[in-house]
Amino acid sequence: MSNFLFGRYLPGNSWVHRMSPQSKLMLCFFFVIVIFFANNVWTYATLSLLLIVVVLMSGVSIGYFLKGIRPLIWLIIFTVLLQILFSSGGHVYWHFGPFSVSDLSLINGGFIFVRFLLIIMISTVLTLTTTPLAIADGVQTVLKPLKKFHFPVDTLALMLSIALRFVPTLMDEMETILNAQRSRGVDFGSGSLRHRIQAAVPLLVPLFTGAINHAENLSTAMEARGFTDSEHRSKYRVYKWQTKDTISWGVFLLVGILVLFLRNN
Amino acid sequence: MKDIIQIKNITFNYPDQPLLFDQLSIDVHEGEWTALIGQNGSGKSTLARLIDGLIVLKSGQIVVDGLIVNDDNIFDIRNKIGIVFQNPEDQFVGATVEDDVAFGLENRQMPREEMHKVVESSLKEVGMWEFRDRIPANLSGGQKQRVAIAGIVALSPKIIILDEATSMLDPRGRQEILDLVTKIKQENNLTVISITHDIDEAATADRVIVVNKGTIVEEDKPDNIFGDIRKLESIGLSAPFTSQLIMALEKRGIDSSSQYLNDKRLIAWIKQLVSNK
Amino acid sequence: MDQTISFKQVTHTYQANTPFSQDALDLVSLTIPAHSFTAIIGHTGSGKSTLVQHINALLKPTSGEIDVYGRTIIPTTTNKNLKELRKHVGMVFQFPEKQLFEESVIKDIMFGPKNYGASEADAEKDAEDAMQLVGLDESLRDKSPFDLSGGQMRRVAIAGVLAMKPEILILDEPTAGLDPRGHKEIMDLAQELHDHRGLTIILVTHQMDDVVDYASDVIVMDRGKIVKHGKPSDIFSDPKWVYQMHLDLPSSAEFATRLVKAGIHLKQTPLTIEKLADEIAELIKWEAHT
Ligand SMILES: Nc1ncnc2c1ncn2[C@@H]1O[C@H](COP(=O)(O)OP(=O)(O)OP(=O)(O)O)[C@@H](O)[C@H]1O
Ligand SMILES: Nc1ncnc2c1ncn2[C@@H]1O[C@H](COP(=O)(O)OP(=O)(O)OP(=O)(O)O)[C@@H](O)[C@H]1O
Ligand SMILES: [Mg+2]
Ligand SMILES: [Mg+2]
Repeated sequence: MSNFLFGRYLPGNSWVHRMSPQSKLMLCFFFVIVIFFANNVWTYATLSLLLIVVVLMSGVSIGYFLKGIRPLIWLIIFTVLLQILFSSGGHVYWHFGPFSVSDLSLINGGFIFVRFLLIIMISTVLTLTTTPLAIADGVQTVLKPLKKFHFPVDTLALMLSIALRFVPTLMDEMETILNAQRSRGVDFGSGSLRHRIQAAVPLLVPLFTGAINHAENLSTAMEARGFTDSEHRSKYRVYKWQTKDTISWGVFLLVGILVLFLRNN
Repeated sequence: MKDIIQIKNITFNYPDQPLLFDQLSIDVHEGEWTALIGQNGSGKSTLARLIDGLIVLKSGQIVVDGLIVNDDNIFDIRNKIGIVFQNPEDQFVGATVEDDVAFGLENRQMPREEMHKVVESSLKEVGMWEFRDRIPANLSGGQKQRVAIAGIVALSPKIIILDEATSMLDPRGRQEILDLVTKIKQENNLTVISITHDIDEAATADRVIVVNKGTIVEEDKPDNIFGDIRKLESIGLSAPFTSQLIMALEKRGIDSSSQYLNDKRLIAWIKQLVSNK
Repeated sequence: MDQTISFKQVTHTYQANTPFSQDALDLVSLTIPAHSFTAIIGHTGSGKSTLVQHINALLKPTSGEIDVYGRTIIPTTTNKNLKELRKHVGMVFQFPEKQLFEESVIKDIMFGPKNYGASEADAEKDAEDAMQLVGLDESLRDKSPFDLSGGQMRRVAIAGVLAMKPEILILDEPTAGLDPRGHKEIMDLAQELHDHRGLTIILVTHQMDDVVDYASDVIVMDRGKIVKHGKPSDIFSDPKWVYQMHLDLPSSAEFATRLVKAGIHLKQTPLTIEKLADEIAELIKWEAHT
């Protein structure tokens, strides 16, 4: 469970770690937009290649990275299967009632799979290399112009950083409770499927009460240390726009153009 | 001496629980090291939370350095007080050790260059500078307590409340931290409230407050508090080491007119016995 | 069945094979005989908690092997089928809040017995007995374990483990946060379980006085290694080394060295208060005779 990387921050000093949060955040958006322009093998291959380079530059090995998002991969596969079964058109290989499998739906399914995977991977790289507070700062800076239109930018940023924190918190809480119960003799993962599900149900209540408890204690600790809101604070880390950011943008823009060029029109 | 904290007739209970404090009053003197001792569940941590305005009184009043603890003053009051909580697990806010120590400084809007200096010196003082890039959750118990202490030391507050803050440190480490706080106390006229179950540590305080089940049983100099061991034992506490030794000597027929002696005086007394006879 | 706990060349690395790996145990080999009372001491972060969590397989070794009463734990051991092992090995965690999860105190303590097949009524009885053993007030029975004071939580955590009636009891700094009476009660309870019920006790502690008052064997750890394993008197015989290990002498020995400094010469360094009092008494009376 502690290997689950989605939403987690890992301290480090890699190229990606040292980039400015604002530019990382914007690059993420940019990358996601470009993904939606991809529509053939070449375009997806280009984007995947770029992503592999990004992961490597964040200082994490691809194997560890993939293992870290494995639970999500199952979720994507499930979604994609539904997609394949319910879409129509092309040469049908197999059908049953409303379900059918065709060459077109298979190819589309494959693309959707890659698309989801790329989105999840790029956002994992973002949280892996950027602290939740820095992400909140980034969001705040990026959305600042919207303040003129009375858009609640600060609240949104704070909510986002809390939400981001919550995923790893829940995962850690899960691990804590699993260990607490294991040490008192619960055998997770053995016995029939039904037995396993039965063993998992009593986890849910303590999981949520535990997480709420921690959140409460954490907010007490924040208050005690003088936290009011995220605006009236100085910053320990500043991330100025650096050459790294310029280079990264250059590369991403080039890849974006390449995708436009390679896609089927 | 000025009373930096004045607790006047406070009443408090947790939701759906019976009254914990009923008309409790106590003062804390500026510049003193006050030890707060008492049985488990007697209300020590609750008192700390009330002083910092983290939970709300039912009635009565708490005044911290001239300011009444209420919504208007709360941030000024928290600027004066640094609390190291009993459970270090839940007090980490920053993603890394270094960011965590900086958190309180950021809230006080300290300029960045200064902040970097303070974070470094605080972490060095508790011996955790090498761990600055680590995730706080992945530290050992004692390492967590050290980081929590650094986070408070960095703020150089007027009042430090240590809620069993050294309970998981190795003996040398604990002494180092106590020495560190003593040093800061001398340099900055700091007021220290130390909630502790270590009676020998309490015996070195300037003043001791004994609470039991939400009431103050006694407050005095250690010499007077530890004179009456039986009373302490009756409320779940124990005697300091020197008193235990005196009792053991009494059992062996060596009479000490049963008054409390701290270690220096006890050594002098033994020396006198040995050379006189 | 082999009645020992043994570690053979055990290494543990947190987050192994990642850029964030942390070595915590370094080729640890040791044997703890059954029915012994072993204290584990060492500076913060030396690997004590990591070591003991291998004994009930909450952590698995990165390399090496652990044998617990004839059961083997190796790097590929999975969490399956460890129920039997964990029934024998009761573990009180360093932080009580990491051990509690049920909605009320009584339910939390009943969890272990129920899980091992006790009926609701039996489990409740076991839990009530355990509550009494650790000195928990009856009035806390239905409170949420998270709405307790630090010391009360600690007692609930210990009770939850005792209710399972383990044969090996691991206590990771069990008295941190307990008031002096609670401290003495819990340590006396450990001694009673050891002396009269034959439990093997493994105690992680920073209290040197408890080490000399209760333990028969001591393991000293330093940076993931075992640097000494012996009787308390062996461990504390070299004060310089003790300080180097970030430890202290027991209060009596510490006091004795101060007496020596003040020019009062004792025959040997006493480890307990009774021995110290004996020595001083002898000195005073002997002087009186001459
Ligand atoms: N959040 C809470 N909700 C309800 N009751 C609480 C809560 N926190 C503490 N209590 C109760 O209030 C009383 C005082 O608790 P407090 O934590 O102040 O004690 P303490 O003196 O700090 O004890 P310890 O030495 O064990 O830390 C206890 O009986 C406890 O059960
Ligand atoms: N979950 C974790 N991830 C990474 N490193 C860890 C983790 N837990 C502990 N460590 C590291 O492993 C080393 C040993 O930790 P351990 O908790 O075993 O120490 P300990 O001897 O119990 O210390 P203490 O007396 O402070 O509780 C420490 O340096 C610690 O920082
Ligand atoms: Mg408390
Ligand atoms: Mg530990």
